[in-house]
Amino acid sequence: MLERVLRAVQPLRLKALITPAAIYAVLGITALLILLPLLLMISAAFKNEMEIFSYPVKLIPEHLYLENFKQLLQSFPIYTLNSFKVTLIITLVQVITSTTGAYAFTKLQWKGRDLLFMLYIATIMIPQQVMIIPQFIIVRNLGLYDSHLALILLGSFTAFGTFLVKQYFMTIPDSLIEAARIDGANDFIIFFRIMMPLAKPVIAAQVIFSFRFFWNDFFTPMIYITNEKLKTIPLGMSDFITQYTVYYGPQMAGCLISVIPVIVLFLIAQKYFVQGIAAGGVKG
Amino acid sequence: MTVIPSKLSKWLVVAAFLLPSFIGFLLFVLIPMFATIGLAFTDYSGGFTAEWIGLKNFQIAFSSPEFINALINTVKFTVVTVVAQIILGFVFAVLLNRKMFGRNFFRAVIFLPVVLSMVAISLVFMIILHPDKGPVNNFLISLGLGRVPWLTSPATALLTIVLVTIWQSFGYYMVLFLSGLQSINPELYEAADIDGANKWKQLLHITIPMLSPTTFFCIIMAIINSFKVFDPVFVMTGGQLGGGPAGSTTVLVFDIFQNAFAHYRMGYASAESVILLAFVLAVTIIQYRGQQKWVTYE
Repeated sequence: MLERVLRAVQPLRLKALITPAAIYAVLGITALLILLPLLLMISAAFKNEMEIFSYPVKLIPEHLYLENFKQLLQSFPIYTLNSFKVTLIITLVQVITSTTGAYAFTKLQWKGRDLLFMLYIATIMIPQQVMIIPQFIIVRNLGLYDSHLALILLGSFTAFGTFLVKQYFMTIPDSLIEAARIDGANDFIIFFRIMMPLAKPVIAAQVIFSFRFFWNDFFTPMIYITNEKLKTIPLGMSDFITQYTVYYGPQMAGCLISVIPVIVLFLIAQKYFVQGIAAGGVKG
Repeated sequence: MTVIPSKLSKWLVVAAFLLPSFIGFLLFVLIPMFATIGLAFTDYSGGFTAEWIGLKNFQIAFSSPEFINALINTVKFTVVTVVAQIILGFVFAVLLNRKMFGRNFFRAVIFLPVVLSMVAISLVFMIILHPDKGPVNNFLISLGLGRVPWLTSPATALLTIVLVTIWQSFGYYMVLFLSGLQSINPELYEAADIDGANKWKQLLHITIPMLSPTTFFCIIMAIINSFKVFDPVFVMTGGQLGGGPAGSTTVLVFDIFQNAFAHYRMGYASAESVILLAFVLAVTIIQYRGQQKWVTYE
């Protein structure tokens, strides 16, 4: 029916644009453009230096070359551990700061509440590089240069996360809170026994966003970490660039290790990613 | 049980809940922000003293070719990436909003790059777009076309970074548009069908207007994110040294970083930061004003 309407009303070329075949072609090509680089990365991780650039490209290498991963054995286990440690701690801290902050901004009444929240939100606009110099000075004066604690403290505040949780908390009816207060519950009990259990979806979204961001964070660790034993995976990926040459094989192996956890997370928790983004974006 | 005056106890509760986020906010966001503004008027170079030099940093900035170059690059980068991301995000959201086979697969694939490390992505594309040995140039040669210098020429380097950035993130905007599309009242479309409006008219007169709040949000997010771009510039054309061939990929944020941590001109870098901030603010305010003209709320 659609075809008939369009044939009658639109010139031929517009109709050609939206046939199912055309749409699938567009989608297919796009999917290919996205998947091919990733497949190339995976296959390069298992090839030796010569093979990586051989053309035509053989996506599946002749022999699985494991030497690249052996090269990583010296440093990447530590990097991986560090990444997990730092990322998980920051994620936990962010959940704490965003939920407690959101509670203060929604279920408590106090002077200056809305003004402060606007200030929180305004900071989303600020690129981190703008604050990096004083942050650096503060971290240095606290004696925290070259430490994981610096990364954790710097990552503790999340304007976006607080915003997200606040939006969600606002959907929890005040009447519920009032009833609890009448029953004699104080705010701590309300927070832990009512708000948090109800907030599982938004906390899940928050966890996922935090994990993704800090797992991939390159800039902040680059500024503050120089000790080999404290480096995270993003820093480790540039390990194979020397003065003379780049060792692409081990580099791709490192990249592969970097992307596996987030891909797994994504596959498991896809709907929370979408929920989180939607909650932030749709006017509500 | 001791009785605490209720006002004090109320403030103690607020403080208890506010403190976790506020410490980080105060110490690592608010104070640094004002400190940056303050440092912009000094000649601070990383040590323990700084001298007030008034507007000198700003004067140097606006008369320095490197800074102007960085500014122009940033604007170029922002315009192209924002336009591309919004259009692509919108188009794919519309395409993938109808019921179709493989819909979830395509949505997932398009969103996938968003979760990956930009450093990893940059490194992979450095192989793919290697001017001599990379598969893309080899492919172009096999078609009889010439090789493209990609990251190695001032003419194409910035565009390359633009393309990689778009590759990574247009899925994010697609998801935003999808959720916006799903919040449009289907009755509007039903009414339009009854009135005999075809799909294109519906797109133009229902979808796009009803989507305008989402579009507005996406544009602001895209602009802010573009101003922040650093990882691909550093990995693909930076290192600790240059900013791409002939400085052609130096964006503002990268110039700030270089001046602060490679040249230790921290006062100057702070001034650049203030200028960047002013830009972001101006753009956001302009968008906000413009919103009243073209965004329809229900």
